[in-house]
Amino acid sequence: MTTAPGSDRSDGLRLSGISKVLGGRTIVEKMELQVSPGELLCLLGPSGCGKTTTLRMIGGFLNPDAGRLTINGVDHTHSKPERRPTAMVFQNYALWPHMSVAKNIGFGLKVRKLSADKIRQKVDWALDLLGLQHHRETMPARISGGEQQRVALARALVLEPEVLLMDEPLSNLDAKLRVQVRETIREIQQRLGITTVFVTHDQEEALSIADRIAVMNNGRIEQLAAPAELYARPRTTFVAGFIGTMNTLDVGPAGGGVPLDDGALLPCDTFSGAAGDVCWIRPEDLQITEADHAGSVRAVVLRVIPRGHYREVLLQSHGSTLRAFTDGEPDVEQIVGLRATNALVYADDALVQDDEPARPGRAVRAVADSGDRG
Amino acid sequence: MTATDTAPAAPAAPDKPVTPSSGARSPRRWSMLFMASPPVLLVLVFVGIPIVIGIAFTLGYTGGLNSIASMLSVSVYTANGWMPSLAAYGNVLSSERFRSDLGVTIWVTVLTVAIVLVLAWCIALYARLSGGRLGKMLSGIAIIPLFIPVVIGAYAIRQFYLNTGFLVSLGRQFGIQLPSWSYHTPGIVIGQVWVSLPFAVLLISSGLAAVPNALIDAARDAGASLGRSVWSVMVPMTTIPTVIVATFTAVGVMGSFTVPYMIGPTSPNMLGVTLQATFVAYLRPQDAQVIAVVLFVLAAGIGALYVWANARASRSSAVQL
Amino acid sequence: MTAVEVQQTPTAPEAAAAPAGTGGLLRRVLGRIVVGVLAVVLLVFILGPLVWMALVAFSKRWKAPALLPQSWTLDAWRNVFTTTPLGHAFMLSLIFAVAATLGSALICLPAAYAIGRSNFPGRRVILLGLFATNAFPKMGLFTSIATLFYGLHLMNTALGVVIVQLLGTVVIMTWIPSAAFAAVPPSLIEAARDAGAGPLRVFFTVTLRLAAPGISVALILAFLACFDEAQGSYLVGAPTYITMPTQMYSLVENYPEQAAAVFALVLTVPSVLLLLLVRKHVMGGHLAEGFQLR
Repeated sequence: MTTAPGSDRSDGLRLSGISKVLGGRTIVEKMELQVSPGELLCLLGPSGCGKTTTLRMIGGFLNPDAGRLTINGVDHTHSKPERRPTAMVFQNYALWPHMSVAKNIGFGLKVRKLSADKIRQKVDWALDLLGLQHHRETMPARISGGEQQRVALARALVLEPEVLLMDEPLSNLDAKLRVQVRETIREIQQRLGITTVFVTHDQEEALSIADRIAVMNNGRIEQLAAPAELYARPRTTFVAGFIGTMNTLDVGPAGGGVPLDDGALLPCDTFSGAAGDVCWIRPEDLQITEADHAGSVRAVVLRVIPRGHYREVLLQSHGSTLRAFTDGEPDVEQIVGLRATNALVYADDALVQDDEPARPGRAVRAVADSGDRG
Repeated sequence: MTATDTAPAAPAAPDKPVTPSSGARSPRRWSMLFMASPPVLLVLVFVGIPIVIGIAFTLGYTGGLNSIASMLSVSVYTANGWMPSLAAYGNVLSSERFRSDLGVTIWVTVLTVAIVLVLAWCIALYARLSGGRLGKMLSGIAIIPLFIPVVIGAYAIRQFYLNTGFLVSLGRQFGIQLPSWSYHTPGIVIGQVWVSLPFAVLLISSGLAAVPNALIDAARDAGASLGRSVWSVMVPMTTIPTVIVATFTAVGVMGSFTVPYMIGPTSPNMLGVTLQATFVAYLRPQDAQVIAVVLFVLAAGIGALYVWANARASRSSAVQL
Repeated sequence: MTAVEVQQTPTAPEAAAAPAGTGGLLRRVLGRIVVGVLAVVLLVFILGPLVWMALVAFSKRWKAPALLPQSWTLDAWRNVFTTTPLGHAFMLSLIFAVAATLGSALICLPAAYAIGRSNFPGRRVILLGLFATNAFPKMGLFTSIATLFYGLHLMNTALGVVIVQLLGTVVIMTWIPSAAFAAVPPSLIEAARDAGAGPLRVFFTVTLRLAAPGISVALILAFLACFDEAQGSYLVGAPTYITMPTQMYSLVENYPEQAAAVFALVLTVPSVLLLLLVRKHVMGGHLAEGFQLR
């Protein structure tokens, strides 16, 4: 895809105030998003949150009802899919069953009226890049899911798009293959330095592949941050609940700890903020100690679930059930001590941070509406 | 078409679990063959034997069951002992009337198939791409002739295109002299298209519905215009229904009687009418049978095309997505 | 490929309707007009003859270039009901068609089940062989059948007429139901067996139930094929048994235009009623599915 005149390679993809209503329902609401050149951005969220709709608007398969969409400075808000410098990898790969692998990859080049030589050269490059040379003349139906996925990727990359779009590209692969292909995707994406938007509902996938993640809910971006930041400081209870596991205690911090069900205090080292209505604690932020260890609260082990190199422990402490990750090997019904190293404090579903006071009301509807994920 | 992941390396996943106890056990196989036999026997007795008798009759074997037909005939060519006689073929094939009727038959068949394919594709494609109410309505209208007995349809069409019919009357409202197509060859084509359209629209619509949107999107994403996407993705993926429509329509039109009988001219007309007249009016069952055999050979050729297309399709890409 | 993918949101259309500046607007308007004109032409082409015929049935005086009759009457209806053997022919048609359809179902449905649900050798040959019967021109076939029927003393008998009508339904009655049987997911049958149902019970509660729409489409199409069959019934049945369509041929030639129109309308009623019943299934692809050779 040749760069359009007046384009600015350094601008990347920019969505300003993009909205979409489908069937009377607002699917995407005033979305603001900027993806830098060479960045891999994940749109993450439950089904029905608007992530795929957003991707389809970027690809040109849907027209936004409001807002503006530019790619490297060129307005593409309403241009047709075939006129956009984007290439999409579809969820079910969407390989044309009547064309061989090479024909699938070369189709876009043929449409662009490249010479046969040039097409062969570029197709060869793509086949080499994804290790598909031996399947050159094979029909898509005759190759495995992982290979189909790679063909779909090759078909998109061969067009040298300014923005690569991927719509849950791994959802049809089995667990092991998923990890493998995901690494291939990341490696090639970084090697080619290609701006990428990647849609997924799998948080682990997003965390391991993305430069930045936009967590979406009900048509809005709840939080846009790098994976580590997103995990450590989920800005809303929705994000906190969606990413990783959480112990959700419906009380604010008090007296240097978190009150449990019968009022006893779970000691905690640090809090994200001083006051709020709920305290959420990551299982890895709960430490299991010897019973009656100083600065701990008594708990009884209910269940131990082996997770390979660590164990997930279900504990009962003063009426509250808590979940902790540990390297130790506690026994069921053993009495242990329990303390927290860090708790995230939320007020009105927004994270209370000491340097940034909570903004009440911002994310209330997010949680209220999250029941109708379709 | 269930085998989505046909990884050749994948361990023997049963790729077509037909029944709980699949046809592996031979007693079950035989019982299935037994169940399948009644229509085969029926067809063998009441279609196979008559066809054989008929063909034998054309070759001059006038004895046995054919003796009644011979009795009813004005004249028959008789085989010389066991040697078949091709005299009946010679007689029919050399006749001027037969040749012009064969021309009309082929011409009408080709034209009808072409028009039906174009119309059905336009209607089905529009309905598929627009997805709107008008598209649904159009394909709904195109199905209506399926609801109407052919005799009625043919009769109604004849009256409609008569010189006292709608089309001519409409033209005269504006002072234009439009042709009257009833009792002329174009009238036959109109009637055949009318009768054949529903089946064509149904099959091609369902063929187009089976093309996933994602495949069209992918083509557009790759830079193809809508037209190009249709041409490169939808057309090749709908080859089979198109071939089915073409063959069924061609076979149906070629041997048809009612439409050309009702709408067509006295002569030259399609062979189906000639056949009937040869039998009923000219009392030459042998000649009628010769015409039937000629039509059958033509139809068999078209049927072979259908089988070939189906075989080709199951060989290449039976699995979609 | 599953039906799920087919039912995605209709995105391609939306993209197709995307506005692309003023030139696009002009093209869209032009496109609308072209589509509208073509829609009207199609409407006239398909429905025009039928509407015209219906008008004829009620017309008293209709002079040529006028687009509507000058005066109306119900005389033709009275005439048809009193002077033609309409009732008799109708009853005869009905009896023959029902008998032939039931016979066809009895003979063909077990075969359709066998072809649809197992993979015995020669099933494709059977399907194709049955299809081949369609390729021989009907008129030629009937003249040969007459020869055979004389030998078997079936000429001018009710059974002869039923057999001739039945022959025209064999393809419909095997192909469409066999596709319907084949489309029943094996997992559902296995689940029923797993739940403890015997093979017969599974057949009646699961397989037959799920294949029912396809079978009903086949039944009704077969009935209509019998009901509309004219040439064979005439050749074998006349002059003892004159059915509606055969009557129609002579009516068209021997009665006034209005009477033929009335007769035609009456003959159309059962077909339209029956097909309205299965319209949804016919449109839903059961018919189309039945004609894919597996």
